[in-house]
Amino acid sequence: MKAAVSIQQEDFSQDEEIAALKGSSKRIGGIATFLGCARDFSEGREVTEISFDAYGSMALSELKKLRSEAIEKFGLLDARIVHRIGTVKSGENIVFITAGAEHRAAALEACRWLIDELKQRVPIWKKEITPQGDSWVTPHP
Amino acid sequence: MIKVLFFGPIAAATGERDVSVAHVPGLTLGSLKEVLAAQYPEAMRLATMMAVNGEHVRDLSLPLADNSEVAFMARFSGG
Repeated sequence: MKAAVSIQQEDFSQDEEIAALKGSSKRIGGIATFLGCARDFSEGREVTEISFDAYGSMALSELKKLRSEAIEKFGLLDARIVHRIGTVKSGENIVFITAGAEHRAAALEACRWLIDELKQRVPIWKKEITPQGDSWVTPHP
Repeated sequence: MIKVLFFGPIAAATGERDVSVAHVPGLTLGSLKEVLAAQYPEAMRLATMMAVNGEHVRDLSLPLADNSEVAFMARFSGG
């Protein structure tokens, strides 16, 4: 079975991620998800694709810590995170987070917390490729 | 030797993915950053985050052991 946390070049299946989460416990009553995708427009420019760089070993380690912390903090039954690196074309998937809990509130709050923390703590960088040239992204709040 | 890693915008600014720096007694994270800033001033201006052996570090006074892996990193933009 695929690991609960992964960093990969290829696209992922949301259905498979959710099925894996559901398969971890029949006590799950609520599943929240966050899907981040590549926008085709940013800072007034057309974006054709995004290139991701990562400190791979540390990024994976930080994602594992985030998952464990979220499970503890929100009392989740399970959580999964997958993040792509390499080149992602506009409209394609970047990151998928699933959180499962007995009730919806914990799942929804955990999902929001996980993507916010991921942006702060996981060493991944994105470069937008545009017809006017390439530029590394300055993080949004 | 200290292995220094660069990623994303910092790798672009240095033109390197990694460099080796000789370890000297008393070397700290801050003194290593100063050494690198002399060679890569623009890159080190971007380096707001640091990691030693894959763990986040904020204390520039941290002593570095020989064979440490150090990353000077720009603010993250994943997700």
